[in-house]
Amino acid sequence: MVTMDIDTLTERAGPRQFGPKDDLPEEYRKAATRMIQFHANSEIMGAYLERPFIRQAPSLDRKLAFSAKVQDEIGHGQLLYRAAESLGIKTREQMLDELANGEGKFLNCFHYPMTEWWETPMIGFFVDGAAMRRQATLKKTSWEPYAHAMDKICFEEGFHIKHGESILRELATGSRKEQKLVQEAFEEWWPRILQFFGPTDDQSTHHDFASAVGLKTMGNDELRQSFLNAYLPKARKYGLELPEYPRINEGENGRYEVVEDDLDWDEFWQIAKNDFEPGRQQIDSRRAAREAVAWVRESMETLGSGSNNTDTPQAAD
Amino acid sequence: MSTETTGLGTPESLTDAEREAVEAELRPLADGEFVLAERYTEWQVQAPTLESDLAISNIAQDELGHARLWYDLLEDFGYTEADLIWEASPGEFRHPTLVELPFAEGDWADAIVRGYLYDAYESRHLHALEGTSYPRIADRVGKVLAEEDYHTQHARNWLSRLCDDEPGRERVQNALDRLFPYALTLFAETEHEDAIVEMRIRTESLAAMRGEWLEVVVPRLESLGLSVPASEDGEVLVDLPDQVGKDGSHTEHWPELLEEFTRTYRKLELGEPPRLLEDPNEA
Repeated sequence: MVTMDIDTLTERAGPRQFGPKDDLPEEYRKAATRMIQFHANSEIMGAYLERPFIRQAPSLDRKLAFSAKVQDEIGHGQLLYRAAESLGIKTREQMLDELANGEGKFLNCFHYPMTEWWETPMIGFFVDGAAMRRQATLKKTSWEPYAHAMDKICFEEGFHIKHGESILRELATGSRKEQKLVQEAFEEWWPRILQFFGPTDDQSTHHDFASAVGLKTMGNDELRQSFLNAYLPKARKYGLELPEYPRINEGENGRYEVVEDDLDWDEFWQIAKNDFEPGRQQIDSRRAAREAVAWVRESMETLGSGSNNTDTPQAAD
Repeated sequence: MSTETTGLGTPESLTDAEREAVEAELRPLADGEFVLAERYTEWQVQAPTLESDLAISNIAQDELGHARLWYDLLEDFGYTEADLIWEASPGEFRHPTLVELPFAEGDWADAIVRGYLYDAYESRHLHALEGTSYPRIADRVGKVLAEEDYHTQHARNWLSRLCDDEPGRERVQNALDRLFPYALTLFAETEHEDAIVEMRIRTESLAAMRGEWLEVVVPRLESLGLSVPASEDGEVLVDLPDQVGKDGSHTEHWPELLEEFTRTYRKLELGEPPRLLEDPNEA
């Protein structure tokens, strides 16, 4: 079989068009790996950020829901690493090692510390809501295993957002203290949430190729518009007041114009290089936890031939 | 056609003595599941592999679900979730101290040994509740038992694989040495033990359950090359720890854990924990 050339690839590119049976050029496989690995890493680091709130959840039901949510994110990571692995560029272990040693990149919002319960809807409602915008479009990505993973992920994310919204509603309709705390959290997180979709398209280095070969199906700007259209009214509905900065101008045709200069792009790019101190701490403490159980993985490798571990404990589902 | 079986009635119809005995049986059960789960969730996003992460999360959620079922039966007597958990003092909790001990970082062997010792006890305990005279418990045992099989399987598989090489076995042995005395707290009797057995709220005594537990646990652990400070015919070479939990005495780790998981509840001055799921009575 001859490796497909880029022109043919571009011409054929469409929803769920390519799979492991196609002999695809390295450029495509690398671009897809980069994108899916970033996505998988983000699931893991998002779960890492949220795990303390399993403990801090203020009721049995909330605790159960939080535990289930964090578990889902790990499951998403597992699915996505598999979809990335099927491109033949990197193994899952390589990607997990890269995430541990600080080479692996992940979403900007997960580089910030989250210490209080009333911050959780900022991730669980707004960031997950933003992620949902992007993920829904990825059901039509050209790498079929990725699109397939998105079916399950989007289904579960729907529940997460409902749970996030339920916590937000509880706080927003709660005591004056709760309302004040959730407003403060919103003001702190809002600029980061606006940066979720990155800078405008023309500054994004990898965008052109990823779009041409059907990996990405919608641009950052368009996604941000769609997010703002849906979530600004929701923020208002829960009585959250937008901070004065960053300014958001409402255009004539219902389009929102975020004044980009009001956002801290130095910090954004620092984060993109994993150089932002709080994010660095998240990465390092996760690495320490991962190294602390390295002995278990080593012990598993010495078992039999390693490939016929049919008695490996599995999740019940 | 049949001999009259003197079962207990509805929660409202119990005598004071019956009600005290039912509570004394339920409280350690509910707290035990809850606190075990609370510790298990520490492994989420920290387990050795993604697969083991998913599995331990499942188990934690099962145990939380069971805790919810048992707490709900305590609520029959007029307690609220806030009374039972969120506003309770450390000494009101009656879980065996085995489940409240912290994990040292990376000590997956502890999680597995603890789970194995606990699950082996729990399945015996549930079987001893299958013939309970209290209908509210009888209604729920089946559902809980069904999930426990998977937990036992999980713990057994992991025990064998960890004991398959020397460094792994050493870690398991260390965990076993540390945890075994605390596992005995699972069978610690309370002042209500005689009443519980006489009223057939539980059909077997804790002493008998301990004997059966040793018969199962000791040979299995020994077959993996571990040394156990007890024999399968009931001889135990270690003492109960000073804090057993079921009498309200706890290790220094417990108030700390309680403080952590009630942090949000206290900071928000909630007064009532948010309910999301259907009441188990309606489900």
